[in-house]
Amino acid sequence: MKRIWQHPEEPKTGRRYWRSVNELERREDFMKSLGKEFPNGDTLTDEERENSRRTFLKIMGASAGLMGLASCRRPVTQLVPFTSSVEWAVPGKPLFYATAMPRAGGATPMVVTSHDGRPTHLSGNPVHPAVTGGLDSFAQSSILDMYDPDRSREPLRFGKPATWGGLKSALAKARHRFGENGGEGLALLVGGEVSPTLTRIRGELAKRYPKAKFFQYETLSGNTQSSVNEALFGPGSRQVVRLAKAKCILSLDCDFLGLDPVSDDSTAEFSQNRNAEKPSEAEKMNRLYAIENRYTLTGGMADHRKPLAASALPVAAALLAAKLDPAQAGSVAALIANAPADLKVWVETAAEDLLAHKGSAVVLAGSRTSAAVQALAAACNNALGAYGPVIEIFKAEEGAKMGSLKELHAAISAGQVRVLLSFTQADPVFDAPKGWNLDALLSEKKVTLVHHGLRTCATARAASWHIPAAHYLESWGDVRTKDGTYSVVQPMIQPLYDGASELEVCLSLMGQDSFGPKEAVVVDPAAPPAPALEDPAYVAVRTTFGQIAGGLDEQKWNYTLRDGFLKDSTSKATGASLNAGAIAGLVAEAKPAAVLTAQAPELVLVPSSSVWDGRHINNGWLQEAPDPVTKLTWDNAAIIGSKTFRELGLKNGQRVRITTEAGALEIPAIEAPGHVSNSVTIQLGYGQVKVGNVGSKVGFNAYPLRKEADEWVITGVKLEVVKGNDHLFAITQDQNTMEGRAVYREAVKGDKDNFAQVTGIDSHIPPSVSFYKGQFEKKSEMYPEGFDYDTKHQWGMTIDLGKCSGCTACLIACQSENNIPIVGKDQVQKGRVMHWIRMDRYFATAEVDDVDRDPSAEDLENAEMVTQPIACQQCESAPCETVCPVNATVHTDDGLNAMAYNRCIGTRYCANNCPYTARRFNWFDYNKRPLDELYYGPLSTPEKTGVRESHKLQKNPNVTIRMRGVIEKCTYCVQRLEAAKIGQKQVQRDSKDFRIKTDSVKVACQQACSAGAIEFGDLGNKDSAINKTKASLRSYEVLKYINTRPRTSYLARIRNINPKMPGADKIAAWSSKQF
Amino acid sequence: MGNFFPRWTNWLPLKIAIALVFIAVGVSLGVTYYFTPKYTRVGYMPTQPVPFSHKIHVEQLGLDCRFCHSFGERSSHSNIPNNQTCANCHGEGKGQIKLASPKLQSVRDAAKEGGDPIHWVKVHKAPDYVYFNHSAHLNRGISCVSCHGRVDQMDVVYQHESQSMGWCLDCHREPEKNLRPLTEITNLGYKPSDLNREAFYKDLLAKGATADEIASVIKPDAKAAGLPELLKLAQEKYGDQVTQSEVGPQLKKHWQVAPPDNCTACHR
Repeated sequence: MKRIWQHPEEPKTGRRYWRSVNELERREDFMKSLGKEFPNGDTLTDEERENSRRTFLKIMGASAGLMGLASCRRPVTQLVPFTSSVEWAVPGKPLFYATAMPRAGGATPMVVTSHDGRPTHLSGNPVHPAVTGGLDSFAQSSILDMYDPDRSREPLRFGKPATWGGLKSALAKARHRFGENGGEGLALLVGGEVSPTLTRIRGELAKRYPKAKFFQYETLSGNTQSSVNEALFGPGSRQVVRLAKAKCILSLDCDFLGLDPVSDDSTAEFSQNRNAEKPSEAEKMNRLYAIENRYTLTGGMADHRKPLAASALPVAAALLAAKLDPAQAGSVAALIANAPADLKVWVETAAEDLLAHKGSAVVLAGSRTSAAVQALAAACNNALGAYGPVIEIFKAEEGAKMGSLKELHAAISAGQVRVLLSFTQADPVFDAPKGWNLDALLSEKKVTLVHHGLRTCATARAASWHIPAAHYLESWGDVRTKDGTYSVVQPMIQPLYDGASELEVCLSLMGQDSFGPKEAVVVDPAAPPAPALEDPAYVAVRTTFGQIAGGLDEQKWNYTLRDGFLKDSTSKATGASLNAGAIAGLVAEAKPAAVLTAQAPELVLVPSSSVWDGRHINNGWLQEAPDPVTKLTWDNAAIIGSKTFRELGLKNGQRVRITTEAGALEIPAIEAPGHVSNSVTIQLGYGQVKVGNVGSKVGFNAYPLRKEADEWVITGVKLEVVKGNDHLFAITQDQNTMEGRAVYREAVKGDKDNFAQVTGIDSHIPPSVSFYKGQFEKKSEMYPEGFDYDTKHQWGMTIDLGKCSGCTACLIACQSENNIPIVGKDQVQKGRVMHWIRMDRYFATAEVDDVDRDPSAEDLENAEMVTQPIACQQCESAPCETVCPVNATVHTDDGLNAMAYNRCIGTRYCANNCPYTARRFNWFDYNKRPLDELYYGPLSTPEKTGVRESHKLQKNPNVTIRMRGVIEKCTYCVQRLEAAKIGQKQVQRDSKDFRIKTDSVKVACQQACSAGAIEFGDLGNKDSAINKTKASLRSYEVLKYINTRPRTSYLARIRNINPKMPGADKIAAWSSKQF
Repeated sequence: MGNFFPRWTNWLPLKIAIALVFIAVGVSLGVTYYFTPKYTRVGYMPTQPVPFSHKIHVEQLGLDCRFCHSFGERSSHSNIPNNQTCANCHGEGKGQIKLASPKLQSVRDAAKEGGDPIHWVKVHKAPDYVYFNHSAHLNRGISCVSCHGRVDQMDVVYQHESQSMGWCLDCHREPEKNLRPLTEITNLGYKPSDLNREAFYKDLLAKGATADEIASVIKPDAKAAGLPELLKLAQEKYGDQVTQSEVGPQLKKHWQVAPPDNCTACHR
């Protein structure tokens, strides 16, 4: 008998997961949009209608003309081989090079995939000792910065195009002038990247120009942390936390899983200890406590989280220190005098737990927290015995003495600077405190500012000279990771626009000129061949390498280039001990917790997960990747906690006016569950102008609200609600919802061990037998056409929700690997975002007695956050396949739900029939057309139509570029699977050994995941890792009861809660009432 | 009641019918000719910038395909050789062959420092959404000749097969019609009858196939104890000469050749 499964009714009581307050409160417009696969797609907007009417005839005419042309004979295509062979190059095969991305604080090692000399994809370096092989989204998308068509291409003189010759002669003049006066009036402003060669060359510059001054500036890696470390551990000290060794972690606003890493691969090290297989084993895991004012990824992963105003953080730190280190009792007495009782209980319960894990417990203070918080965290760590076992102290290399931006400001004001060379990737004219008036000061003091950078940012436009930088994938260099491991940065491609690297500019100051366009040398055929000129930057890097490796050994050099790091170059921990006496002084600087109200809240300025400090503003992948917490794309906002939001009577997108001592800003507000009351968080870096097609006029600039460079928490703020002129956000959180079914599962100790399988309706569905003799199950007598596990690969995937923090690195990796286009803000608003992986973020409230009751402010403030990536689940019995009228989506015998793009006619039936809403439709030629020309069809101007030449270079040649009118979706990186299978065929030849080596193929998202949450492999190979994870008790299939038999399953999350913590019984209180 | 239609309209239906017949015939003829791979592909023989003759190099001189198309077994592309490869024989100070020939001018030009490479005209073109892989075929018993014809006998290369999707699938569904021993991959003149039956079965046995398995391919229920019995069995079934119908199914079974006929095999 046919059985029809009705989705169960949503129960009236019980725990709830929701994506937005709209959903939780069942607001009308949200309920109406439920179940619509294409929110704005089924009807045209007025503008579109207007447009189509006007241009219909024109387009028809043009198409008829084009048809005539296109029907001619097929064009002659040519094959152009190299004249002589290129080392290693085999046409059709990519090459892999190890290199590293220089970054403030420590480099990121990576492997570059290069097709025919074009780098196309970045992935982590799996053999590097400091990392596991994952790669975060900033590093992933840096490849797009190189191909950015709006990148700085030519030198600028006062913002106007100039020649390289002019620039070089100006540099030569400066060299001569400063050579004579010993560098009087010369200043260099550098970034925070750690490069031994640059350090060495700067040292040589300081010798050649003894009076030159050096300054260092990174907007967000402020000075507080380094000065606290210096005060406590001696000059040049920095900390690296070995999270893998920590069993109990307390974070004081330290987003170490997101934007504030404490080691080279914090996420990987943290995730190593999140491996409990069933709730009864929860204590095998580490335990994470987090205190923060807004939700961060770290807060989402925390077992216990306390929302707390950022200005009250010193109080929490003081309470903690008082409990852990009795010696601090005196210095913190004033701070804890008026501490709220609930905070005290919370902190003390956590502190007891930390003490119980002495030697493997650690307290992490965010790098932008105040000196007092960092000092108190150091005191706690000292008391917990963390220094040594968990935290290692390293010493930086000796180099030129660096001043801060503030000192540079003072030097300019005093007229000591004549020429300022700015190398930092930060944008001081844009992001320095507004009161300093850097721009005006520079012109007033007649300082010649020479800016070197990839972007024509505000500083570049204000500069007398701008030098286009070479991307790190285009130049020689070297770096150290946080733990000091040495890597060489190798060029993958000639500079696309003749840019110069920082090293090359510094070398030119030393008299070794090498950058800029190469002039063709006229060779006299009679003359003996001249020796090839060696690139000075290459020579400089090799010289440094020789010094570090103890002699320039060619073999060692080649191994370093191949592996991506120099063996045994990791720094040795100094074993410096804490100067406990300095703590009291730092704590005394702490301001008492301010009284906050909705109208006078605190303002917290945080980095953006899309643009960091603003440097990635023109990167389309990052702009469109939804913020992991707010799910906001192409924007920033005033993030306000629900309680305050309601008190102020705001609605999403309504503007608020925020006034601080330094300035005022009108910015649209967004409601954020889990955000503390009377606190406003704004992500920095937005609101830039003239920075390119993608980044211009995106978001709002919050930098002018600061008075000091290191002021990240501002109190004494005035907040007013502005009426009218509401802003339209592009938020992905309400799109493609799952309508509240048991999609996300989690448990705590005390729950059943097989909780994942017995949740909701999964516990009582009878076994399903299909009518169809199609490909279901394993091949057997009952299913003669079932999947053959013996002579075929059978692909499968598991995603561990206990490890996934929702960082979106997989999403960017997928975009880079699979040629997924960006669609722009306007299209995101219409729900047309193309990402194949949808990073779902749910909030959860503790049990409510009635779903129709409005949640209380406390419910919203204490909401838990969980994330779940959803891509195509590769259903064995796929609903999409049965509705495709043209067989464009069919099943393969290795279990993939295949998409034949060239066959798709775009009916979108499949997307409408997909229960996981995992299919995306190309409404426009997103891959072919600039975002502002989407609607123009063939009538767009010739120079605007068509994808930018440089973007084409990034495309993966093994994946079809999808055209307008085609559905696309995750294919488990089928190009990688086919390549692996064919690679095995080359080995198999005349044998039967068809199966690829166990776990030898990795899909892009799996490769990018530092946490190791994604497992992928061949289900037919009994040794493969995927078979182990599939057998886990935590493994469950989303919407199992509709019998789609997904190949992707999820491992339910287990939280390691502390039963003594107040409210612990409410955390992740999974209940059988869940539907 | 007047006459609505003039007299000449009486013939209109017939005229329309005749016209329709002509149109239908014309359209179907046109489609048959112009829309088939025959018109668009087979026989395409463009003039190449260098009049390179495969006939001379392969048939007369005996060069193996892989001498120039060196990566076919390792990569998806079977590469057009670099100019360096040409220059190894025809270059100055190298092979010195036909140094003065005007036909080789562009080879000599390309060999100069900074010289322009030779722009060969592509003969076999797969659409951009088709991901063909040479190595998957060459390593598994499909010869060059199956897709490219007797290039060794061509003075000027032309397209021999339609290379349409249907043509690909024909072979993917019945690979046994084209499989041959790996040693014969680049032997374009290979005929199954050249094979020594005894050596062929010996080789299969040596590679680990049991006599029973081999026998079962020859005759579904047959069993064999060893090589002599196998030879006898084959002799009975196929006669004296070794044929493709004998070789193909054996290789298909013992190499486990199972060409994918999924979309993802070629479209990604």
